Amino acid sequence: MQRLEKSFYSKTSMYAFFVTLVLFFTVWIGTGKFQHIDMALLGYLLSSFIFAIGLTVRMCSWLLRPATYQVVKRSLKNLKDKKRVKRNIISILKTAFENIFLQKFIFKRGIYRGVQHFLIAWGCIGSFAITFGLTFGWMRFDLVDSDTYQIVVMDLPTITMKAHGIFAEMIYNGLNITAVMVLVGVCMALARRIVDKDVKVTQRFEFDLFPLYLLLAVTVSGLLLTVSYTFLDGWMHHYITLIHQITVVVMLVYFPFGKLFHLPIRPLATAVPMNYQEEWKVDTRPCKKCGATYSSDEQIEDVKGILQAQNFDLQLADGSFLADYCPACRRRMRVMKQLNMEAPKGNPYGPIQTLNGIQISGFGKKRSDEFYNIPKEEEKVH
Amino acid sequence: MRKIMYLEFERCIGCRSCQAACRECGGHEAKERNYVEYVDFMESRQTYPMLCMQCKDPACARVCPANAIQITEEGVVLSAMEEKCIGCRNCTFGCPFGIPKFDFEANKMYKCDMCYDRSKYDIAPMCASVCPSDAIRFIDFDEMQALRRRRAQMNLVEGKKPQEGNKWEYVPEFFGVYTD
Ligand code: SF4
Ligand code: SF4
Repeated sequence: MQRLEKSFYSKTSMYAFFVTLVLFFTVWIGTGKFQHIDMALLGYLLSSFIFAIGLTVRMCSWLLRPATYQVVKRSLKNLKDKKRVKRNIISILKTAFENIFLQKFIFKRGIYRGVQHFLIAWGCIGSFAITFGLTFGWMRFDLVDSDTYQIVVMDLPTITMKAHGIFAEMIYNGLNITAVMVLVGVCMALARRIVDKDVKVTQRFEFDLFPLYLLLAVTVSGLLLTVSYTFLDGWMHHYITLIHQITVVVMLVYFPFGKLFHLPIRPLATAVPMNYQEEWKVDTRPCKKCGATYSSDEQIEDVKGILQAQNFDLQLADGSFLADYCPACRRRMRVMKQLNMEAPKGNPYGPIQTLNGIQISGFGKKRSDEFYNIPKEEEKVH
Repeated sequence: MRKIMYLEFERCIGCRSCQAACRECGGHEAKERNYVEYVDFMESRQTYPMLCMQCKDPACARVCPANAIQITEEGVVLSAMEEKCIGCRNCTFGCPFGIPKFDFEANKMYKCDMCYDRSKYDIAPMCASVCPSDAIRFIDFDEMQALRRRRAQMNLVEGKKPQEGNKWEYVPEFFGVYTD
C-alpha cells in the first residue's frame, strides 16, 4: 500500500485516479465495451468525470481537517467493533431515515423551509441518479420489438415494458418530475431569500444565491427541452440542448466546491448517535465540578484530541482540561478568574487587584503588536 | 468594525435586559444567545453577563468536524452554517468559555454573533445598547484602554501606596501599550 501511495503525487491524486478508473470500468461494462455509448451525452460524461474527481479531492481535503479526521476515525473504529453492532445499525438506519430521507430537523426549523429543502434535495438526488445512470451508460433502453422497451442495467437485460404504458411514461418523465420538484423548491428558496430579512444578515451571493440560480437555470432549460419537443415541434430544440448542456456542466463542475457540497458530508451525522449521544438528548458524562451530565466520555476524549492536535493548550493548573467541565462551569470559571475570586480572599484594605494571571506579567514579555490590534503610530506622517 | 465589546462583570445588576434584547435581534429566532448567571450563589447575588469572545483562532471552529463555523472578515465568529452543521456539539465542548448553545430540535448550534447585522456597521449589539448599568459596552479601543487604566489608578485614588513587595499589583493588566 505504501509503495502504491508513493508512486502517486499525493494520496488525493491516488484516490482520484482510482475513482476515475472504477467509473471508466463501469462505463465499459455498462455500454457493452463502448458499443452502446450515447454520443449525445459525451459532454455530460466528461463533466461527470470532472465532478467525480472534484468530489474526491474535496472529500480528501475535508478529511484532512483534524476534527473531521478524528470523528471519522472513531466512526470507523466503532463500525468494526463487534460489541457495537446493534447500536451501529440502529444509528445508521435512524440517521438515514429521519435525518437524511425525511429531513425532520429542517421541518422543525420551519414547515416552509422543510418543504422547500425536501423538494430541492430529492429532486436533485433523483435527477442526479437518472443523469448519471444514463451518462455513464449504467442504464439504457433497448427496443425489443415495435412497442416493447427493455431496460438494460449494466448491460444486463432486466424488465420489459410497453412503450406507451404508464410505467414507461413515468420512467421517460422521471427527469421532468424531478425537475419540477427542484423548480418549485428553488422558487420557494429564492422567495425566502428575497422576503426574509433575517437570512440576509449572513447571506453571500456566491455561496447562497449562485447555486439557486444555477439550479434554476438547469431546471428551466431542461424543462424547456420537454416543452420544445412535445408542444412546439422541436422549435429551437438544438439551442436549448446546448444551453442545457452548458448549465449542467457548470453545475457538475461547481458542485464539489460550493454550498451543494453539504450533501456528501451529511452522512457524517450518523457519528452523533453512533459515537457520542446514543439516546437523543441523554448525556452520560458528569461535569468535574458540579456533577451535572453534559456529554459523553468518547466525545470529550475526541474534543481533547482535536484541540491537542492543533496546539490548543486548555489544560488547567490541576491537570484537568477545560473540556472536563460543563459549559456553565466553564463560564463561571472564566468570571471567577477574571474577578480574582478563585484565590483565597485577600486583604480588603490592600490594593485593588488588577493582575489576574490572564495577561502576561513583566515588562520583558511583550506580545506582538498585532495582538493589540492598534494602528501603527509610526506609519502616520508627521 | 472599529469598536469592541467591553464587559465589566461587577456592574451587572441581573436585570437580564440583555437577554431580552438578544431575543429580539434579527436572525436569532427569539432565542437568546448570551448568558446572565450567578457568580457564586452561596456567597452573593452577584450576576455576570457572558458573551462570546469572538476568538481570533476559535477553538469552536477548530473542533467542528463539518467546518460549519465561519469567521467574517471583521473577525466575528458566526453561528454554525445551517446546511453544514451535523449536530455533534463538539463546539460546545471545545469552546474554553462554554458559549455555543445547541438546539436539539432544529439540530444546529447557535451562538453569540455580536448581532452581526448591527456591529458590521458599528452599531452597538442589542445587549450593549440596552444594558442599564453599562456592564456591557460597545466602545472604541482607546476608551477601553482608558477604562482599564483607571482600574489601576483607583489604587492611587484611594491612597494606597505600592511597596517593594507588592508593586506588581499596581501595574495595569496590559503592559507596554500605554503611550501617554
Ligand atoms: S454542532 Fe455543528 S457547528 Fe458544532 S461542532 Fe458539531 S457540526 Fe460543528
Ligand atoms: S464560541 Fe468560544 S471558542 Fe468560539 S469564538 Fe466564541 S469564545 Fe471563542
